[in-house]
Amino acid sequence: LGAGQSIQQTYDLTRYLEHQLRTLAGTYLNYLGPPFNEPDFNPPRMARAERVPSATVDLDLWRGLTDNARLAANYRAYSRLLCYLRVLDGQVGTAELRHRLSHFCASLQGLVLSIGGVMSSLGYPLPAGPVGPPGPPGASAAPNDFLKKMDDFWLLKELQTWLWRSAKDFNRLKKKVPPAVVTLRLEARGF
Amino acid sequence: QRHSQQDSHVQYERVGADVTMKCGSMDWDAAVTWTANGTDIDESHLNGSYLILKNVGLSQSGQYFCYEGSSWHLKYQTNLRVGTPPKEPVLMCRSNNYPKGFYCSWHLPTPTYIPNFFNISVIHGTKDMVCEKDSPPKNRCHIKYLQLFSTVKYKVTLTVTNALGKNFTTLTFDEFAIVKPDPPESVVAKPVPNNPRRLEVSWQNPSSWPDPESFPLKFFLRYRPLILDQWQHVELSDGTSHTITDAYAGKEYIIQVAAKDSDIGTWSDWSVAVHATPWTEEPKHLTTEAQITETTSVSTSSFMAPPTTKICDKGAMVGS
Repeated sequence: LGAGQSIQQTYDLTRYLEHQLRTLAGTYLNYLGPPFNEPDFNPPRMARAERVPSATVDLDLWRGLTDNARLAANYRAYSRLLCYLRVLDGQVGTAELRHRLSHFCASLQGLVLSIGGVMSSLGYPLPAGPVGPPGPPGASAAPNDFLKKMDDFWLLKELQTWLWRSAKDFNRLKKKVPPAVVTLRLEARGF
Repeated sequence: QRHSQQDSHVQYERVGADVTMKCGSMDWDAAVTWTANGTDIDESHLNGSYLILKNVGLSQSGQYFCYEGSSWHLKYQTNLRVGTPPKEPVLMCRSNNYPKGFYCSWHLPTPTYIPNFFNISVIHGTKDMVCEKDSPPKNRCHIKYLQLFSTVKYKVTLTVTNALGKNFTTLTFDEFAIVKPDPPESVVAKPVPNNPRRLEVSWQNPSSWPDPESFPLKFFLRYRPLILDQWQHVELSDGTSHTITDAYAGKEYIIQVAAKDSDIGTWSDWSVAVHATPWTEEPKHLTTEAQITETTSVSTSSFMAPPTTKICDKGAMVGS
């Protein structure tokens, strides 16, 4: 699969996940109950929630990212987000929601692999070092149920925002990496 | 001859209020004359030298003068402005040039008839953001995004103040929720020669959308023959042109396009409508003898459906 197709596939998977997450997050926030499922809910972000990788980025910096840096940022983010999401998945009380979360985690795992595939096809090394969260997610578990729900709220919101960002990231890459050019480069390296 | 001398100022009063005006430093029992906008005020409105205006209305706004009875010296002058305190303003924020920034615009649901002063504050997390105001009378200001892809909501508070009161409104929203492009521009629809059921439609990205490369737009096209109310729709994920292939032959069409960021936000309003009629065959120019035979045969078949349309095509019959 050429890099161009691989990027397109990753873009499509990102859009699919974004769509899936919209309904899943709605269901999960309803499971958490008020005020978490209220549209104007705007809680402060506690220190623990700051550990979740943030999609927020300076506009000019984002524009100026190299392809490698852009992909690596995505790879690291989803690898960590996946770990947190798996913790969430393990604690959910309803079977139906647990099933949907597991399915989503599997798809998100697919996205991580897909991003890794794009990086390899472009000749970039996968990010070194621990890609999972700093400590086991439960290391500094929330002291009470409400704060635990706050952490979940921010995890889902950050994940949604990452998926929007990634759609723009991969769209940019799609335009910069037409399939034909990449094949030539591969041949030049004697592949 | 009336001499102007005394201090003049603006006096704001609510609609329906009772207003009492003293004639400057004149005693209560002094002889005075009051005028409003140059017209003497009837004695019935006076209580001694005081002017009493009951249940004032908007029409009583104006310049009020008080002259000392004998010397006609101007003793008091005021500009009475009758109005209302502001109601809660209507505030709207929107990003039609994502990711550059967003603008907020506002208006009052009802007029106050007196000058109002607006103050807007935009807070993102803990950061105060600058809102560059358009020159009056445009009630609008612009905010530049410093960061993208933020999970922190923006909080915009608009406060309106006038001499009679104060009000405010607050909007809280996510970055992505307010993304709404302007409608596509330069929409053109043309018939396709030799194709009686086709129309070629093209348009351009709204010029306000700054970076269609990184933030591509998708489009929604709607079209219908003027003779029908039911729109047909087609969504296009890229490109800025489309060929309609199922137009009714010979029928004038109305066509509009809308735009949306391909991943976030909401659809634009519909573009300006354009009209077009699919290509139709030119009637042939024949010699006189042929014309006579042609005219006799045409008069018997003029009610036949256009050649490209199936006789049993119910839809076409509706249109002919």
